[in-house]
Order: sequence, then C-alpha cells, then structure tokens
Amino acid sequence: MTPTHVPRVVVGALAAVAAAFWPRPAFAHAVCGDRIFPATLGVDDPGVSDELALPTLTWLPKNSDGAQEFDATASWTKTILPGLGLSFADGPTWRRPGGYGWASLDTELKYNFFCVSQLELMGSVGLDVDWGRTGTLTQYQPFNTYAPVLDVGKGFGDLPRSLNLLRPLAVTAEVSSSVPGQSWSDGSQNPTTLNYGFTLQYSLPYYNSHIAEIDNDFLKRLVLIAEFVFSKPISNVPTGANVATGTIQRGVVYMADSWQLAVEAIAPINGASGRGVGVVAELHFFLDDIYPDSLGKPIFMGGK
Amino acid sequence: MRGRTALAIVVPLAFALFASAAQAHAQLERATPAVGAAVAAPNEIRLKFSEGVEPRFSHIALTAADGAAAPLGPARVEPGDPTVLVAPILKTLAPGVYAVRWSAVSVDTHRTQGDFDFTVKP
Repeated sequence: MTPTHVPRVVVGALAAVAAAFWPRPAFAHAVCGDRIFPATLGVDDPGVSDELALPTLTWLPKNSDGAQEFDATASWTKTILPGLGLSFADGPTWRRPGGYGWASLDTELKYNFFCVSQLELMGSVGLDVDWGRTGTLTQYQPFNTYAPVLDVGKGFGDLPRSLNLLRPLAVTAEVSSSVPGQSWSDGSQNPTTLNYGFTLQYSLPYYNSHIAEIDNDFLKRLVLIAEFVFSKPISNVPTGANVATGTIQRGVVYMADSWQLAVEAIAPINGASGRGVGVVAELHFFLDDIYPDSLGKPIFMGGK
Repeated sequence: MRGRTALAIVVPLAFALFASAAQAHAQLERATPAVGAAVAAPNEIRLKFSEGVEPRFSHIALTAADGAAAPLGPARVEPGDPTVLVAPILKTLAPGVYAVRWSAVSVDTHRTQGDFDFTVKP
C-alpha cells in the first residue's frame, strides 16, 4: 500500500459514514397534549402516523471526497396498530463523479411507547433496516445495516406563564447505532456508527393559539427549526476514520392542515462532513388527515 | 426516466389536490376574546378552528386566576359553521386574568387541545 492509498481509504470510509447520516426522507408528525411536533428532515420526530413524504429533494454539500450529490426520495409510513408503524423509503441519487443510482430500500418499524400530555413529552423506539443488494450502481451495498433507534420529544408548554415566550419551544432528539451486517466488504472495514442529533423548534402555531394571536395567516403556520445531526464510528473503524461528522440544518416548516412543506439549509460541521452549503426540501402529506377512514388509519385498530 | 419524472410531479400534485379537501386535526385559528388580549367583560367564549368539530366531544372550561371555575353554558357549534365552537358565559366576569382550556374532536375524530389566557379590564 502506497502512502496515497491510506488517505483514499480514510476518505472513502468518511464518505460512507457521512452518507449514513445525511438527511433521511420522511418522518412522521406527532401530537402529544397541546404539542404538534412537525415532521423534521434530519432528526426523526417521536411520532408514528400514516404519512407520505413525496418528494424529499436534497442537494448535499460537496462530500469530503469532492463528490456532488443530489437525492430525490419518497417515504411512506403505514400504521399497523395505533402507535406502531412501518415505513418504507427509497429513491434515486445522482452523484458527480459517480453517476446515477437507486438507493437501498430503507424500512423502519417504529413504536410510540409513551406520551405524557401535560408535559408534552413523548418517545418512541424503532428498528431501522437498510436492505443490502436493493440499491443499484453507485448506491449498491452488499449487506444489510441494522439500527435500533430511540426518539424523544419535549414541548415547553408546561413552563409557567411568566415564561410565556419560551412556551412555543420544543426539543426533539434521536440516538441510534447503525450496525452493518458484514464487518468487511470489498476489502474494507464497515464500521458500526453512533448517530445522534437534536432539533430546536419554535412553533408560531403554538404561539398563536396559546400566547397571543398572530394576525397573519402565513406566519401563524410557520415553525422555525434548527437541526443538529451527528455521526461517529465507534467500532471496527478503519485507521484514521475515527472522526465525528455532522451537519447543522436551519430552516422553516409551513404547516397546513393536512400537509407541510419544509426547507432547510445544510451546513457541514467540519471538512470530513463536506464543503459548502446544501439544501433540502420536503413536501409531506398527513394521510391520517387526508384519508382518515381508509389509507390513513391503522390496519388493526387495537380496540380503539 | 421520463415516466418516473412525470410520476414524481403528478403524484404530489394529486395528493395536494386531495389534501386541500381533507379533514385534519382541528387547530385553534382565532378566539374571542383573542388569545392574550385585554378586553371588556365578554359574554361568550368563541373559538374558531381550522376544521369542523364535534360539539358532543368538544369542551371549553374557564377559570379565574385563583383557580375558581367561571360558569359557562354548554359549548355548541355555531349554526351553519361547525368550525366555530361557542360557550356562553353565565355570569359577568370580574376584572382579572382568566384561562381558557379547550379540547376539540374534529369531525374525523382527531383530538386536539390547548389553553390560553385573556384579561378582563377594569
């Protein structure tokens, strides 16, 4: 191995790690007590409901290896029981250099296991599987990746009235560990990664209905959002690739009654995470609101 | 590819059209007295939601700053407009801060809730 091979291996590993945490499409919105957590783009919210994100368009910052990538993805979540849902996500990717490919199918079985209405506090657990051999060309991966996931959300509507301006605030957080089904492939190590992140949200709909009326029909439907998304290899790490990567995404969500539109700028936190600024936008439909008696309700109602 | 691109455009548009006619979680759009406002003693609480609500499963409660309940009549939807829930105030409110607590079940059975304050001026 010549000296130039080492950096390429490291760069490749970092690119793979970065690819593992780039914004994933389509997360469910969630209601707990007075709080509606919007669907967010980098960190999953803690809710489970029937939803369709179509499309999620992502123009990534240039990758650490200098590649430019554009993703167009779709995701559908179907509830099986109240609080238990299965989501499917996939879509094409264009990379330069690299060309066109179809991403691996991603599924997540997710269960919303608690909601304390008075505290606007909720949480869910899930198992995300990225299915190997389902991608094509540049996106081909010969093994599955398994990721147990924990999501929590907390609204601050329970703060005292003296802190009224802080009550529209909410925080969501997510932690997961992506475990590859093969520790080696094509002569390279496949690291296990720890993925973690959080969002800060300021809800003008909450402000309008709890603090003071906003006399503007557009403004009172906006949620201001900052997302902080990180990933770090934690085992089976190639030499020199033990670097945390991540993005900071700032943007806004417009929440209509049965759909939402989110737009965020993506800024990498370091050189290993990429260069420049990207952008992600997602149109998201709440199927439980659009088709409450058919496609939008759980397959089994579980006595509810 | 051309077919997929067309699909990617047509499907969201189709959903958007359906979504425009959809029912949803009933969100409070405006209230009378207005959220956070200082007003003369009102004779009713009037809540305008983003969706129609079911009056049998929708409620309004009013409490004074000391926690005492203010007497309200039963909440009803306004005739001809199921998005408006109205509860009469049965006794003139004394000056002070009051809290409105509401819960609403939209016509597609989704439940929402919320609260806000208003002030009755002397």
